[in-house]
Amino acid sequence: MDQSHTSGWRITVEYGGTFTDVVVADNTGRFVIGKALTTPDRIYVGLKSALISAADTLTLKLPEVLANSDIFIYGTTRATNAIVTGNIAKTAFLTTAGFPDVLVLREGGKFDPHDFSTPYPKPYIARRHTFEINERIDASGDVVTALDKEKTEAVIQLIGERGFEACAVSLLWSTANPKHEKQIGGLIRSLLPDLPFTLSHELNPILREYRRGSSAAIDASIKPLMQTHLRDLESDLRDDGYTGEILVSTTIGGCLDIDSVVERPIHTVRSGPAMGPVAGRRYAELEEQVGAVLVVDMGGTTFDVSLVRDGKISITPETWLGERFTGHMLGIPAVDARSVGAGGGSIAWLDSAGLLHVGPQSAGANPGPACYGLGGLKPTVTDCALVLGYIDPGFFLGGRMQLDVKAAERAIETISGPLGISARAAAFSIFAVSNETMINAIKDITVSEGIDPSEAVIVAGGGAAGLSIVPIARELKCRAVIVPRTASVLSACGMQFSDIQVEQSAAVTTRSDAFDRDAVNQCLDDIDRSLAVFAEKLASRGFDARSTHYRVDAHYAAQVWDIAVDLPASRLESKTLVDQLVETFHANHRRIFSVEDRASPIEFLNWTGRLAIRLPQAKVAASAIDDNGATRMTRTVLFDIDDHREATIVRGDSVSVGELIVGPAIVEEATTTLVIPPGARATLSSADSFLIEWIPEVD
Amino acid sequence: MDSDRDIPHKEKSLSPMLLAVLANRFDGVVREMTNTMLRTGRSAVINSARDFSCGITTADNELFATAEGLPAHVYGLNLQTAAVCEYHDDIKEGDAYLHNDPYSGNSHPADHTLIVPVFWEGEHLFNVCAKAHQADIGNSIPTTYHAAARDVYEEGALLFPAVRVQRDRETIEDIIRMCQRRIRVPDYWHGDFLSMLGSARTGENRIHDILRKYGKATIKRFATEWFDYSEARMRQAIKKLPAAVIERESFHDPMPPMLPDGIPVRVKLVVDPTVGTIEIDLTSNIDCMNNGLNLSEACSISNSAAGVYNCLPSDIPRNGGSYRCLKLKLRDGSAIGIPRFPHSCSVATTNVSERLLNLVQAALADLGEGYGLAEGGLGMGAGMSVISGRDARHNDHSYVNQLIIGNNGGPASPECDGWVTYGIPVVAGLMYRDSVEINELSYPIHFKEIRLTQDTTGAGFNRGAPGVRITYGPSNHPMTVVFAADAQVNPARGVRGGLDGNVGEMHVVDQYGNRTRAPSVGEIELTKGTWLSGLETSGGGYGDPLLRDPKRVLDDVMERYVSPAYAADVYGVVLKGKIDDETLELDLAATDARRAGMRVSGD
Repeated sequence: MDQSHTSGWRITVEYGGTFTDVVVADNTGRFVIGKALTTPDRIYVGLKSALISAADTLTLKLPEVLANSDIFIYGTTRATNAIVTGNIAKTAFLTTAGFPDVLVLREGGKFDPHDFSTPYPKPYIARRHTFEINERIDASGDVVTALDKEKTEAVIQLIGERGFEACAVSLLWSTANPKHEKQIGGLIRSLLPDLPFTLSHELNPILREYRRGSSAAIDASIKPLMQTHLRDLESDLRDDGYTGEILVSTTIGGCLDIDSVVERPIHTVRSGPAMGPVAGRRYAELEEQVGAVLVVDMGGTTFDVSLVRDGKISITPETWLGERFTGHMLGIPAVDARSVGAGGGSIAWLDSAGLLHVGPQSAGANPGPACYGLGGLKPTVTDCALVLGYIDPGFFLGGRMQLDVKAAERAIETISGPLGISARAAAFSIFAVSNETMINAIKDITVSEGIDPSEAVIVAGGGAAGLSIVPIARELKCRAVIVPRTASVLSACGMQFSDIQVEQSAAVTTRSDAFDRDAVNQCLDDIDRSLAVFAEKLASRGFDARSTHYRVDAHYAAQVWDIAVDLPASRLESKTLVDQLVETFHANHRRIFSVEDRASPIEFLNWTGRLAIRLPQAKVAASAIDDNGATRMTRTVLFDIDDHREATIVRGDSVSVGELIVGPAIVEEATTTLVIPPGARATLSSADSFLIEWIPEVD
Repeated sequence: MDSDRDIPHKEKSLSPMLLAVLANRFDGVVREMTNTMLRTGRSAVINSARDFSCGITTADNELFATAEGLPAHVYGLNLQTAAVCEYHDDIKEGDAYLHNDPYSGNSHPADHTLIVPVFWEGEHLFNVCAKAHQADIGNSIPTTYHAAARDVYEEGALLFPAVRVQRDRETIEDIIRMCQRRIRVPDYWHGDFLSMLGSARTGENRIHDILRKYGKATIKRFATEWFDYSEARMRQAIKKLPAAVIERESFHDPMPPMLPDGIPVRVKLVVDPTVGTIEIDLTSNIDCMNNGLNLSEACSISNSAAGVYNCLPSDIPRNGGSYRCLKLKLRDGSAIGIPRFPHSCSVATTNVSERLLNLVQAALADLGEGYGLAEGGLGMGAGMSVISGRDARHNDHSYVNQLIIGNNGGPASPECDGWVTYGIPVVAGLMYRDSVEINELSYPIHFKEIRLTQDTTGAGFNRGAPGVRITYGPSNHPMTVVFAADAQVNPARGVRGGLDGNVGEMHVVDQYGNRTRAPSVGEIELTKGTWLSGLETSGGGYGDPLLRDPKRVLDDVMERYVSPAYAADVYGVVLKGKIDDETLELDLAATDARRAGMRVSGD
């Protein structure tokens, strides 16, 4: 094996439903992308061909790339897909007697009061797989009804006999007193030693029985699947000679060692969208853009938006898998990445009174937009981008796919005809209406976090983002837009900048007017003890640059929804520190809700410690210029209904660092297209991103 | 003449893009107002149960935008802003008005509404409204629903008929002090007041943003076209209905001694597909009653309208435009029509309103197969009662709160089974449910049981959703529980051969397990060790149970919504095997034979 290369390379992988993306970062800051079709039966088959394609670009052999790398980070949509499609283990749900319908009744809510044609969602675990356990603990943690050991044993035996593959246990108030859940855990271990199970207070000790129960059910239900999935990957990688660290990316935008993830596989759910803001935060830092950063990721069918504020990624306790109210709630804290159905494949349609709509239906990848010529007849946003002149039909995916302009026009005529406008005017209208969906999604996240979009910069990734992000940013009056040249694989890039992170929560309820410092500090001790298990394990492998931060979910007494507040210190040793915490709560409340209520006591509920272990950071350098000084062409492009302009067409690999591109212009890359309308200008930064700003208006 | 004017109008009409974009922008304004309120509301009624709505009306008081609002709240907003205009001839930018008067457009006194007029270039163009159910409004008893109130004086609510509470964006503190003096939970009220104000001012700012970008002329043009578009959608939908005149009656349960025979609720619908209108005639209803169950004008209108909207495509915008296709006939002085002061409307939004809404949607089922809806489960029984008392855990601090944790099941529709977390017809599933743990933490209450019931739903081709069995009591000091249930005598009706939902009941259970039937409407006190146990109600079925797909019946049996015996008796579905080991399967031959036999004997 060639040992002349310096080690320190990092490989990151995002396993998606269709493609597996690989990013290899070498020690000079070069990022090389590899892509291959996903192979769900054995992940490593597709992964290996993506790795080989990256190795080819580096003119190296796969063993050399593996030998040079000491960190391998793996992100997967496998768990998310299993949950959404219901392709999960046969799981038993054990709950407090009297409350069998926690997963059926959930927390209520529905979108449309007049819609009676949407069926009520089925519970995550069927009612017939739910077992009531005779026991009850109350709000103060006192045992009201002791656990009926005999009957519980009978239930566990039954679970064994009926072929259940996993078991979730979520009892009322297990957060206040875990005694009964622990007893059940002991019984399962002794009666069914091979059955994977999850105890809610261990996984996710938060208040609210539906959220805690849902997280426990989800975690247990994917344990068999994810254990196999991750262990297979590990052994395949080792078989090919990789000896470095294998980490898995997680829901909170960090990564964890494979053993920890196998124990709590729920932490892999939605790790892909969680990595978008990790990438966005880094790209914004590299451009010295601080403050609020909106990170968007737009592909063919979905648009994800997340928020970074002062270097911190927004976390939410409410993540739905599938649609809000009809999907399933994840229940654990997750990066707040909100998805809406909008993308290049979104279909335009007219309702019975002629109002134009775009989406949420999507042509997906198959048949895809009409211009793909794969049988799609309906007009999509991509078809419009083609007709408007944004996309060069001969240079789509770097010229690997020829697009059919006539087919796109025919599809758009199904809209323009009835409206009595030209095809180009219809194309622009569809484009503008589609942008509205994304503008709304961005507004929703900024409103709920108390941020004004005009304070923010946008980092845009995903294959379709460059087409519409600049007009969207302009509508929102954002300060600037950053489009990294590696934008098309935002999640895999995010992993290049991620650290090992693990969180542990505990529920101790106390109020600001009678603050129980001892109980809180004891709970923080408990949190530290369980985090220390991770820290020591990883320190023994050389990852020891660690730090721990603490936060607490709190609300004004009698409010119901919590906001998170950072603790001023690792322990609340003095009244001064408690006062500081209280002040921070008031300040956060004022920022998010524009009011505060100093007369009200504050209730503190869930305490969380986050252990972060720094990994060596990947560097970023500008790509080499392949085609310096190539002739710039122009093309007629539509920037408003009546606004045809000659736009400069620029090949991305011909732009040098610091070069100014003044709109109207289009930058064409092999994987994405960046549209720069009149009034905007772009420069390529030394960190390999296009930075788009507004040209000051001259009266 | 009209056609002459139409031509220049057509030329100036908005582009299809602008119509779609602006519709989205105004929806966005209401959504932002809604999110602001959801996040800032102090009382559980707002931030947990979501019992609030936001909307926009035009300056000439047509309902303009209502995204995500509760039907019972939004249709009357235009009446309330009309009251602002009628009572004040000096409205100006920076004003805000508090309105909760059911005699001038509000739903019922517990729904405080904050109204802010929106000006641009000196012209009054819109009003933004934030309406929220309050935790307390200073009634004579600790509930916002006073069913027994003979009149407004016994009811005791403070009434604000479009009272100015801000001028030049400065709050008129006199009003705040009046409310804080009189309302039982002044902090909650004030928190919610600030939340409504914040929401309304947010709405005002966002509308200003839109006006700044597009200009006044375009926005006025948009309002006209948006109303026309909405009207066109509504008219198309009604034109697809068969012509019919339908009269229907139902009864709110008896409430002895006050109303030993219950309350008749009557409607006559005239569906005219040739012009695309539906006339809703409520004039044959009884005179105002000497209790708190009279409907306000807003509730009479909104619940009739909601019954119709429930049966039409759900994406028709709910506004003054689509509203033009509904012709309401209301009688002055009627309990279900226009109330006459001082008859109380304390409970206007729920009990009789639920009956009215159910009645209209079930009446539309008479149009034929595929039309209308069954009736939904109803009544605010144990799971939606108002609890109050003192909390020994917090220095005997007093508390009062409406529980939103029980559940009545939704009605079956032509397309599917009922929605499980339906609640009551007037909220139709929109409200959030409380968490058992959060309730037990926030109030000295202990729950014993909340479970969906078996064999209770209105069977049908599509079945209603089941209600729950709920049992709870105080965890320390005695607890007062106030409720106003229904369907304990008259259940939610099935339609088109679908069966009725179950009859609900409530019992007080003492420490020895003795059960005493509780009144359906009233107030009880529970001491520690005694429990209130409520059987809530399910929705009615749609269509013949013998036509239900046997596979769906099998699934209902596997999931324990239906017992095997009930499957055989009511659905004619014969099963073999066992539920427990999941070997249960259909005996199709026996099912066919049984269903054939039942059809014959049914004839």
